[in-house]
Amino acid sequence: MDLKTLTEINAPSGHEQPIRRALLAELKEKGFNPTIDRMGNVIVVKEGTGDAPRKRVLVSAHMDEVGLIVTGHTDGGFLKVTQAGGIDPRVLISKRVLVGDDGIPGVIGAVAIHLQSAADRQRVMGYRDICVDIGATDKKEAERKAPKGTYISFDTPYVEYGEGYACGKAFDDRVGCWTILRLLQEELPVDLVAAFVSEEEVGCRGAKGAAFAQEPDIGIVLEGTTCNDLGDIPQTAQVCQTGKGVAVSFMDNASIANRSLFRKALEIGEKEGIACQVKSSVSGGNDGGVIQRAREGIPTLVLSVPCRYIHSPSTVIKLSDAESQFELTKALLKAL
Amino acid sequence: MFELLKKVLAPIGPSGLEAPVAAVIREEIEKYVDTVEVDALGNLIATKLGKAENPRKVMLSAHMDHIGYIVIGAEKEGFLRVTNVGGIGMNASLTRHVVFPNGVHGVVVAEPVSGQPQLKNLFIDIGAKDKEEALKMVSLGDVAVYANDCFRLGEHRVAAPAMDDRCACALLVKLLQTVGETQDTIIAVFSVQEEVGCRGAKVASFAKEPDVGIALDVTGWGDTPGVHYPEIKLGEGIAVKVMDRGSISNPELREALMAAGEKAGVKTQREVLPYGGTDASAMQTSRGGIPVCTVSIPCRYVHSACEVIDMRDMDAGLKLLQTYFN
Amino acid sequence: MDIRKILSEATSTLGVSGQEAGVAAYFAEQFRLLVDEVRVDAMYNVIAHKKGSGNGPKIMLCAHLDEIALMVMRIEDDGSVRFGSVGGVDPRILPGSRVWVHGTKGKLFGTIGALPPHLMSEEDRNNNYKMDKLHVDLGMCAGKVREQVRVGDLITFNTPFTELAGNQVAAKSLDDRACVAIMLRAAERLQRMACDAEVYFVCSAQEEVGGRGAMTAAFGVDPDLAVVLDVDFALTPGCGPDVAAPLDAMVVTHGPFVQPKLNKRLIDCAHAHHVKLSENVAGRSTGTDADEIGVNRGGVPTVLLSLPEKYMHTSVETISLDTLEEGARLLSHFVSELDAGWEDDLWI
Repeated sequence: MDLKTLTEINAPSGHEQPIRRALLAELKEKGFNPTIDRMGNVIVVKEGTGDAPRKRVLVSAHMDEVGLIVTGHTDGGFLKVTQAGGIDPRVLISKRVLVGDDGIPGVIGAVAIHLQSAADRQRVMGYRDICVDIGATDKKEAERKAPKGTYISFDTPYVEYGEGYACGKAFDDRVGCWTILRLLQEELPVDLVAAFVSEEEVGCRGAKGAAFAQEPDIGIVLEGTTCNDLGDIPQTAQVCQTGKGVAVSFMDNASIANRSLFRKALEIGEKEGIACQVKSSVSGGNDGGVIQRAREGIPTLVLSVPCRYIHSPSTVIKLSDAESQFELTKALLKAL
Repeated sequence: MFELLKKVLAPIGPSGLEAPVAAVIREEIEKYVDTVEVDALGNLIATKLGKAENPRKVMLSAHMDHIGYIVIGAEKEGFLRVTNVGGIGMNASLTRHVVFPNGVHGVVVAEPVSGQPQLKNLFIDIGAKDKEEALKMVSLGDVAVYANDCFRLGEHRVAAPAMDDRCACALLVKLLQTVGETQDTIIAVFSVQEEVGCRGAKVASFAKEPDVGIALDVTGWGDTPGVHYPEIKLGEGIAVKVMDRGSISNPELREALMAAGEKAGVKTQREVLPYGGTDASAMQTSRGGIPVCTVSIPCRYVHSACEVIDMRDMDAGLKLLQTYFN
Repeated sequence: MDIRKILSEATSTLGVSGQEAGVAAYFAEQFRLLVDEVRVDAMYNVIAHKKGSGNGPKIMLCAHLDEIALMVMRIEDDGSVRFGSVGGVDPRILPGSRVWVHGTKGKLFGTIGALPPHLMSEEDRNNNYKMDKLHVDLGMCAGKVREQVRVGDLITFNTPFTELAGNQVAAKSLDDRACVAIMLRAAERLQRMACDAEVYFVCSAQEEVGGRGAMTAAFGVDPDLAVVLDVDFALTPGCGPDVAAPLDAMVVTHGPFVQPKLNKRLIDCAHAHHVKLSENVAGRSTGTDADEIGVNRGGVPTVLLSLPEKYMHTSVETISLDTLEEGARLLSHFVSELDAGWEDDLWI
């Protein structure tokens, strides 16, 4: 399965069925025996080629994406929504969306600028102001087509452009899922517990269960992370840069990397000529936090692909960085 | 106790990089306990077996980590950009002397801004002439802490940067050295990463499955100009926590500790802290849940470079705990 | 089972978050006649176990028994008592309230003073009371107060259980003891119903400070699935349909923190038994014990069933007894109909 296919599947946090189904089909076709655990995570355990006792390494990526969820309906037939996962409501205005599993097209509009007062124009539009319009003529029709609890995704097809860049939605973290699918094709010395986990965007819930249930010796989280390398951002305030390879984290708000894994990843990158960079920001959090603190504690490292405009309908990555994520993870798994 | 305290205060150990502290403590306790181990996150765990037939397992946790400044970038002029590891306050930061684990010294400075400076306005001057030299001296992800400066303040008080929570580490070391035979099994955890969310104590208590948990930590003060809460005074005794934001102490355990203080003839204070949390929160919610309490050492100016405690409260804490276990 | 009596007794029993021994003992006693075994664990969770046929899953039902309250922070030299809160207490509800201060020699009557408007500046009148400006007046001098009140002692509302028209009742701590009553009624109903499932009725501690009791109870019980019962906002003036539900129907919640297929099963069960439901959506956490139970150990498929309540976190929380009964009816059917195949196709 390619990155385009993976990112175009709509599966916000809590509604991972579509991506879960797709991954199950793909994994079965490739001859694996995937299981689903009680968090809805898709797990494949692949035995290593090394001598026993082998290290059991959890490599996880989350399969959910940020999205919206219907909370109510207006008398005029518009859908009231809130976020399922963190979306800045300011990026939603004037965008196209797909509502529910049938992919009913919808738009998020705004009052025409002509009609806005100077004060209106300054005001930030929040979820209280935003409606999704699916063309329903009244409340009844809206309720029938998109009942409360229906999930909504961005309608933004995958496009490759520029010098090796790709624009789409859900690179966070389908790019990690893609890397894991590729790693499963490799011969590795360690026992690989490949986990496609649920509900990262609403609090790292899937990975918490997976780490508890799988009891790994080491955890490696493959992520997409924030990147702000364009514009007038001082270089010291940039988190990481596209095109400079996979970003290795020393710390974020959820975890502090195991120092020896952190150093090892950077050393391997240098030795083997795999592009990598230090993620130079302590921001956000991801599955690394819950994996590290599962059971009696698990040494954990996070390797991320830089994503510009993360959590928006149009996220941008450089494809070579995804390649580096794959190469560095593979090399690290061989060196553990 | 003061000599031991100085020894435990000396090593550099920001959250996530506590090994130097563990090394010092290990040496102090090794011959007084049955086993010592270090777990996957770096917790130093010492077990002292109880003499009872089926001894109760009591976990005591004091955290080794210290708040600090983590390097996230270097300016071309050689200044380091940093952010916080744990609760760094701006007022406590300005023009402070800091030091990195590899011995590099620095001064924390804020660039001039209109209004109150924020973390992003801070930089560390390590004397580098440019970015290249700076990143040879330290690496991205390295962490600096307030340079150790331990001194006596008046007859009973001591000031030092890492008092939170090395004074409790010293107290726990002293307890292991002096408590002698006990009915209970004592699991002494010198924990990591408390300042970023009690992460070390969480995995340690999962691993050790204690029956009871007691955190040893510092608490706030309410006896300096303009500060009224918590109702805690330095030198007025060891504090036994009723509640903070992280945990509500088990009432029976709390009263048992208060009673031990009374029996030992030391002064105690009841503590309700409207902020903060300790390793007790992590222990309480581990596995099926256990009774917990925190024994707190009153400490002024917590999370500054001059955290002040009163050695009489330390002695009271030691006697209270000795009595509790005997 | 006299639900009114149970609610009246339960809501007047002391059980503040973290110190729930009193109310835990009360509920343990109530469950004892209805299930096979009852225990109170180290966190003061009440865990009542009803054995199953061996062919069903292990289900945990959970409603919290703790209540929000105030705590003594300081005794001033004039005898007034300063306080902070245990759990989320809105300071605006406090002025003029009657309270019990639970001192070392028993409970003391107190009132929370409020400065009369005559003595306030225009500006002060337009600002809300802040907790650190309020005090409890015990009508005693500082010396007498200090003899029997200590820092850390509890302060609870002194509001009698009140019956309103339309089978509605008002009291403090109906959040969430009314839902414990739903579990009691469901346990009673299940005695007469077929039930394969092994059922754990958990009255959880420390919900009001962050699901701490449910977290550990779930670890101890290790259930296959869970239903969490809590109160939800009911429609009142100023609390409209965008955030609140009608008082007369139980509420199900959609969102990432509830298992969707299990939720559908609950909704289908309600339809089959003609139990009226309304629907709520939580895009992120539900703010209930469901958040913690769902991620216990390797994960627990969990749903949330809510009883609408007016005036949440006040001393006059109000619910409908009719809705409570309907909640118990739905819960007992849902549990009774669980079989070994409950997990088939749960995720695909």
